Order: sequence, then structure tokens, then C-alpha cells
Amino acid sequence: MWHDPPSPASARQKPELERLYDGHAQALYAFLLNLTRDEADTRDLLQDLFVKLAREEQMLNGVRDERAFLIRLAHNAAIDLMRRRGTRAKTRDQFAAEIISPFAPAGNPDEQTFRAGLAGALAGLPAEQRAVVHLKLWEGLTFERIAEALDIPLNTAASRYRYGLDKLRERLRPLYEEIK
Amino acid sequence: MNMDDFEHKLQRQPLRQVPAGWREEILAAAEVNRRNRPVREFTFAAATFRRLRSTLNAQLSAILWPHPKAWAGLAAVWVVILAADFSVRDKSPVMAEKSAPPSPEVMVELKQQQRMLVELIGLRDTRAADRAKPLVPQPRSERAEILMT
Repeated sequence: MWHDPPSPASARQKPELERLYDGHAQALYAFLLNLTRDEADTRDLLQDLFVKLAREEQMLNGVRDERAFLIRLAHNAAIDLMRRRGTRAKTRDQFAAEIISPFAPAGNPDEQTFRAGLAGALAGLPAEQRAVVHLKLWEGLTFERIAEALDIPLNTAASRYRYGLDKLRERLRPLYEEIK
Repeated sequence: MNMDDFEHKLQRQPLRQVPAGWREEILAAAEVNRRNRPVREFTFAAATFRRLRSTLNAQLSAILWPHPKAWAGLAAVWVVILAADFSVRDKSPVMAEKSAPPSPEVMVELKQQQRMLVELIGLRDTRAADRAKPLVPQPRSERAEILMT
């Protein structure tokens, strides 16, 4: 879900990096974890991003949508990582017994089953659809902001969401009907 | 676009929280890098170039990955062809450079031939002059005198 960054008054009291971390790290973490499905990779990508922000202080000058800008950086870094891994990662994924879920554990067994099913269904989506679905559903971004963040046309963002959601709906229908 | 029940159901699923210990570690790592940062400033053009290069690398590796040995073999063949081409191309200027300057005998011979050529050309000119019609006065025609009378 979309969380507004801290107010400027409280932001001024903190160093810039801490402000950025507190305002955006949770969203970036969930997004990266949903893309990479690997906590160590997510940690590395998140750290690289903040190292980059520390080294290049002018980077955010003139940026009007900080969250969208940071998501774009995170997305590009994750896509680069996945491309570098390429075939090795695909093979590893095929043999991986457990899918790392981007969702918090649930107390209710039905909910836990649904979340596990949802994590599996999301993992089955192409990365570009997964990114749009994540930003729309759990970041609450509009298609305009998603398009800006991922550097894609607005229609592409909308169609990727529709295709991704249709696939999730199809895969999760039995579970959803059961717990509805 | 209005969301249906299914979308709302998905939206309600809470996401995993970022581990608490990461904050200190990541900010500490970032701080260390801030102190050691290079002088180079970030520019949009540099970022775009880096992204382009990364995309190009990814595309190339996607193309080359399925048959790496075949591509490596093809590359090796090209290297051999280029090496052969360069070795042939390199010889010609070296040969030209290494050719010795003409010896004094050759120079004398050349000068002699040049002289003969000049003489021959001079002879031909003379003959041509000889062949030119001499301007000997011809007897005047008497037809003009007849007409006058």
C-alpha cells in the first residue's frame, strides 16, 4: 500500500539518507523482493541503491516524484541483475523447492494458503507484469506514475496489469472461491 | 479502472516488512561510500549510457548464450582470418621501404640512356625540319599577264 513520505518538517531534522531510507526503504524492499524472490539479492540491491544515493548527492535534485524515481532505479538494478543471472537463475528457480514469499506470514491457515498461492502465482508472471501488478496493488500507484517509474508507455502499463491480473485470477480461482 | 473484489482481496494481503537490522547496516555502508565518493558527478547522460550498455550486454549475452562454443569457434575463425590479412598487408610497405637505392652503375646506365633518348629526339626533329618544304620561288604564271592584255 502507498505510504506518503514523511512531512518536510520532520524530514529536515534527519540527515538526507536516513530520511530517504525511512520514507522509501519498505516500499523498495517489498518491490525488489517480489521481483528477485531472493532476500540476499534484495539486500544487495537495496544497499547498492543507497550507496549510489550517498555517492551522488545531486541525483535527486529536480526530481518531483522521489518514490517513482527510486522505484525506477530499483527496477533497473533488479532487471540488470536478473539478466546477468539469466539461465543460471532460471535453472535454480526450476529446482527451488520453496518460493520466497513477499507477503507477511498469516495466522489463519486459509489465509496462509492463499498467500502462498498468491506468491506462487506472482512468481509465475513475467517480471515486467509482476512489477506493474505490484506497484498497482501494493503501492497504490496510478498507471501514470507506474508508467513514469518503469519508463514505459501508459497503455503498456495498463495492459501489463490486465494480463497479469487475468493470470492471477485464473490461477487463484479455486483458492479464492474456497475462502471467499 | 474500478477494482473488483478479487483485486481488493489481493490488495489487502500485507507485505513482508524490511528486516530491522538492515537500516543501520545499509546506512553505514552508504556513509562509508559517501566519504570515499569519486569526484565525478552523476549526470543523466551517464546513467542513460550505463543503462544502454547494460541492456546491450544483456541482449548480446541472451543471443550468444545458447551456443557459446559455436560462437567462440566463429570468433576464433575471424581472429585467424584477420591475423592472416594483417600479416599479408604488413609486408608490402616493408618491402617498399627495404628496396635498396640504385647503385652508381645503374645511375650511369640510366643517364646514358637518357642522353641517347635526347639525341634520338633531337635527330628526329632535324629530319622533320629537312622534310619541310623549302621556300624556293616558283616561276610566275603567265595567265595573269594574258588576262591583263
